[in-house]
Amino acid sequence: MTVEKNSQRILSYTRDVMAGYPREQRFTLAMLQDIQKKYKYIPRESLEQLSDHLGVPLSKLYSIATFYKALSLQPKGDHVIRVCDGTACHIRSSMVIVDELAKILMIKPGETTSDGKFSLETVNCLGSCAMAPAMVIDETYYGKVTPSRTREILNEYGGVDCE
Amino acid sequence: MIITINGRQCEAEHGEFILDVALRNGIQIPTLCHSEALPGLASCRLCIVEVIENNWSKVVASCVYPITSEIEVVTHSEKIKRMRKTLLKLLGARAPQNAYVRKLLAEHEVTPAARFQGDPDENCIMCGLCVSACDKIGAGAISTVYRGIAKKVSTPYDEPSKTCIGCSACAGVCPTGAIKVQESHGKRIIWKKEFELLSCAVCGKPFITPEQIAYLKAKLNQEIDEILCETCKRKAAGERFAQTCADLTASKGLLR
Amino acid sequence: MSESNRPKRTILVCCGTGCLANHSLKIYHKLKELITKAGVDVAVETYIKTTGCNGLCEKGPIVKITPDDIAYFKVKESDVEEIFEKTILQGEVINRLLYLDSVTGKRFKSHKENDFYKRQMKIALRNIGEIDPADIFDYIERGGYESLKKALFTMTPESIIEEVVKSGLRGRGGAGFPTGRKWKQCAGYNNYPKYVLCNGDEGDPGAFMDRSIMEGDPHSIIEGMAICAYALGSNTGFAYIRDEYALAVKNMSNAINKAKEAKFLGENILGSGFNFDIQIVRGGGAFVCGESTALMSSIEGKVGEPRAKYIRSVEKGLWGQPTVLNNVETWANIPVIIEKGGEWYSGIGAPKSTGTKVFSLVGKIRNTGLVEVPMGIALRELIFDIGGGITAGRKFKAVQTGGPSGGCIPESLLDLNVDFDSLTKAGSMMGSGGMIVMDERTCMVDVARYYLNFLAEESCGKCLPCREGIKRMLEILNSICAGKGLAGDIELLQEICATVSEASLCALGKSAPNPVVTTIHYFEDEYLAHIRDKRCPAGVCKELTTYYIDPENCKGCGLCLKNCPAGAVSGQPKSWHSIDQKLCIKCGNCIDNCKFHAVKIR
Ligand SMILES: Cc1cc2nc3c(=O)[nH]c(=O)nc-3n(C[C@H](O)[C@H](O)[C@H](O)COP(=O)(O)O)c2cc1C
Ligand code: SF4
Ligand code: SF4
Ligand code: SF4
Ligand code: FES
Ligand code: FES
Repeated sequence: MTVEKNSQRILSYTRDVMAGYPREQRFTLAMLQDIQKKYKYIPRESLEQLSDHLGVPLSKLYSIATFYKALSLQPKGDHVIRVCDGTACHIRSSMVIVDELAKILMIKPGETTSDGKFSLETVNCLGSCAMAPAMVIDETYYGKVTPSRTREILNEYGGVDCE
Repeated sequence: MIITINGRQCEAEHGEFILDVALRNGIQIPTLCHSEALPGLASCRLCIVEVIENNWSKVVASCVYPITSEIEVVTHSEKIKRMRKTLLKLLGARAPQNAYVRKLLAEHEVTPAARFQGDPDENCIMCGLCVSACDKIGAGAISTVYRGIAKKVSTPYDEPSKTCIGCSACAGVCPTGAIKVQESHGKRIIWKKEFELLSCAVCGKPFITPEQIAYLKAKLNQEIDEILCETCKRKAAGERFAQTCADLTASKGLLR
Repeated sequence: MSESNRPKRTILVCCGTGCLANHSLKIYHKLKELITKAGVDVAVETYIKTTGCNGLCEKGPIVKITPDDIAYFKVKESDVEEIFEKTILQGEVINRLLYLDSVTGKRFKSHKENDFYKRQMKIALRNIGEIDPADIFDYIERGGYESLKKALFTMTPESIIEEVVKSGLRGRGGAGFPTGRKWKQCAGYNNYPKYVLCNGDEGDPGAFMDRSIMEGDPHSIIEGMAICAYALGSNTGFAYIRDEYALAVKNMSNAINKAKEAKFLGENILGSGFNFDIQIVRGGGAFVCGESTALMSSIEGKVGEPRAKYIRSVEKGLWGQPTVLNNVETWANIPVIIEKGGEWYSGIGAPKSTGTKVFSLVGKIRNTGLVEVPMGIALRELIFDIGGGITAGRKFKAVQTGGPSGGCIPESLLDLNVDFDSLTKAGSMMGSGGMIVMDERTCMVDVARYYLNFLAEESCGKCLPCREGIKRMLEILNSICAGKGLAGDIELLQEICATVSEASLCALGKSAPNPVVTTIHYFEDEYLAHIRDKRCPAGVCKELTTYYIDPENCKGCGLCLKNCPAGAVSGQPKSWHSIDQKLCIKCGNCIDNCKFHAVKIR
């Protein structure tokens, strides 16, 4: 797909999202969340389009997009790994899991592998503290994760090529 | 109503801010993020004072604390002085090399804490005045970005902003001189954006951007036929006034 | 529904997050398939439902069968057929799946008999685990929306507020402000529109009670909000829900729609002439947005920065209008208070902290999960009798309450009664009810650092004391944990704490020092061990920890070797194992897995 076509698509999807809400500032976050859900990030085209539509300066939308953790300006990998580092998980050694994943994937939390397959993130509490340490890949929850199980779990997603 | 500040009785209106009453009565309270034109930021907390009400003391930011009853205010208690020093210490850790910050620290006899690794290139203290100024103008070119300890002020995507008109109002309100404005060869660079500068019709000094002119036109809804810099504008106004006076005297003479 | 006269039986499959992660949905589908296939051949008419979280996630998935009052724990997909064959078809109890008391070895048929549930008293969680949250009739069948009717048709706004005042209910979201007083203040402003908000942001890591209520019993929140709205003359409500809580958003939206269809929400509610509607706002993922003024900014579509609260939200809140904001759990209590009266409620719990409170017991505790108990319960009872004590036979060290704004309470205070004021007096706070239990393998300096790290990211960053104070405290704690602590660090931390706790703009900053202050207060020794002796007694701070295996205790079982991800352990079966320090990554897997306490920390 050419860049131009892709951009067209993004614009038209953004238009659809905007049409779903009244043209009021209070729906900014909701619209951005819809766009985020679709693309796993907020494309610049969308942010600019929304700025025009709502009559809110781009800088204010940029401020919102960088403030809320649910929104991202960077594209994400095919699979997003979110390791919980909430308190319950932290004291059950969640950072050891993060370190192990970082080592296997050769990226730091917040980064995406060079092949675009995995993104690694830490989150504060998945609300599954009873299964600490917990992690979620895309929508699937994993409880009581151990460092030795991480590679196994990654294999369910096709594993890591770049080794 | 009457409130007491440092033992002194002061007249205050309902809803007035403590800082305003204090200043009116010649009582100095240090401030950093307060500006009469851009009120309400309350981010620097240097203006903290103790408010005592019903035998209960609390620390509040005087620049935004509205007076609603006959309270007692202490602006320089031991506690407040101690806290202010800690705030300044934190400020010094953030912008260790900034001249204005260093001056403030010296004024309050605070020695910078050696324990902290400050960034020698940091000058912004995140007071937020620049963003308020730009918003007030209506350009909305800059905003705060990120949150927490990573928060900073920037243009969208750290790129030259489409809506910046190069007015440098932001730099003008910045207490620490953190916003760099470069001017040379008839050009101005601010927030990475380059502007052409138009010259004063009289003295020939380059001083204003075409974007600013366009903004003024839109705002005032009228044509601007002659571009005059502040100095020349004042001079012209003065001359016009002198001329009018002269004319008046002349006409009066005629009449006489 | 079928017209038959067969006796009825309902199977309740827990589909709270914990059980879902253990594949309870598969169990549900499989059971359902078997029941449908068997159809009318079954002597008992059988229904199957998914419910919200039962609380004891540790022992999930949980399957309950009524009216037989059977509860099965740790059910696997492979158990489903047996459950169907034996219990459903023949009414037989499968002993193996019943709750096992690990101390006495006794099994209990009904879940109500075991220690975890026996000591609880459910008000806010009254319906969770008993009803299908997607089915409004389940809620109505258990008395739902009766309180709304009572309020609309037999009570005046004043008498509703009076009842809530009388109950002594204090907000469950953190600060414990008296709910009735808040409503009364808001009712006093004759400025319309007014707004009624539900705080479902639940940013506190380690707490998940609000999630459980929104997922498992959404109508109780809706009913509570509608009663308040009627008392205040408000027509618009907003529920601000954490975006990560997809199921909560879904169940709340669905419940709002169902409530509208049934005329419990919308125009002319139940023909009373009163209008009230609730809209859902998905949060953006920011802890600070749980703070009331930041939450309102966020609903308005702005960056979630708090503002100075010298003018209260009950006067000028959302869009500058009078606003009442309450927490999810607070709302869930309201219908019961209206039903049974404020006086009844005030008789439960402690004098100045009435009613019950939901706690999440997590960390190094045996029965992790959600419990609801009367306020004023002793910490010891909560942690040891209900929670079953510490895992792996280790020693209790501290319990953290109140999340990032709270503090750590040491063993010496285990007899403390859990209520708003006692916790505050101990230097901590109630917060949302998260209780994170820590044992000797938890480093208290690391805990303080953990919370500051959290707050460094989650503070809005607007005001100087909070932003710079947290940054510098974190800098100091990082260096202490890395073995670079200096003499004077503790005093410097205390100095910063004293300023941040009073000069910050909002309560996030004001309470940010609590984890540091309490850990220094109760565990100064541990700080000194790090700073002076360059040692981490808990074996958590990597730079300060060396693990070694004591030949005296080592039985050569090889568990450490098997669990070491770095291949640092070597040794032959049945003989002394040892750790190659050059390879060891200090993950602590060996020490956590050794049953003979042979792995030691130097
Ligand atoms: C930083 C911060 C985070 C908060 N997070 C929450 C939250 O997630 N949920 C909540 O109900 N209250 C939270 N609160 C408390 C709210 O500001 C507010 O007091 C509460 O929602 C009022 O409801 P209540 O009186 O029913 O507790 C938070 C407060 C602060 C300062
Ligand atoms: S120079 Fe640009 S950024 Fe600064 S106030 Fe003017 S328009 Fe705003
Ligand atoms: S650049 Fe200057 S005015 Fe803007 S926030 Fe920083 S210190 Fe304040
Ligand atoms: S105390 Fe912290 S969270 Fe609150 S306004 Fe200040 S910087 Fe923001
Ligand atoms: S702390 Fe990890 S799921 Fe709650
Ligand atoms: S002058 Fe009041 S907070 Fe900065």
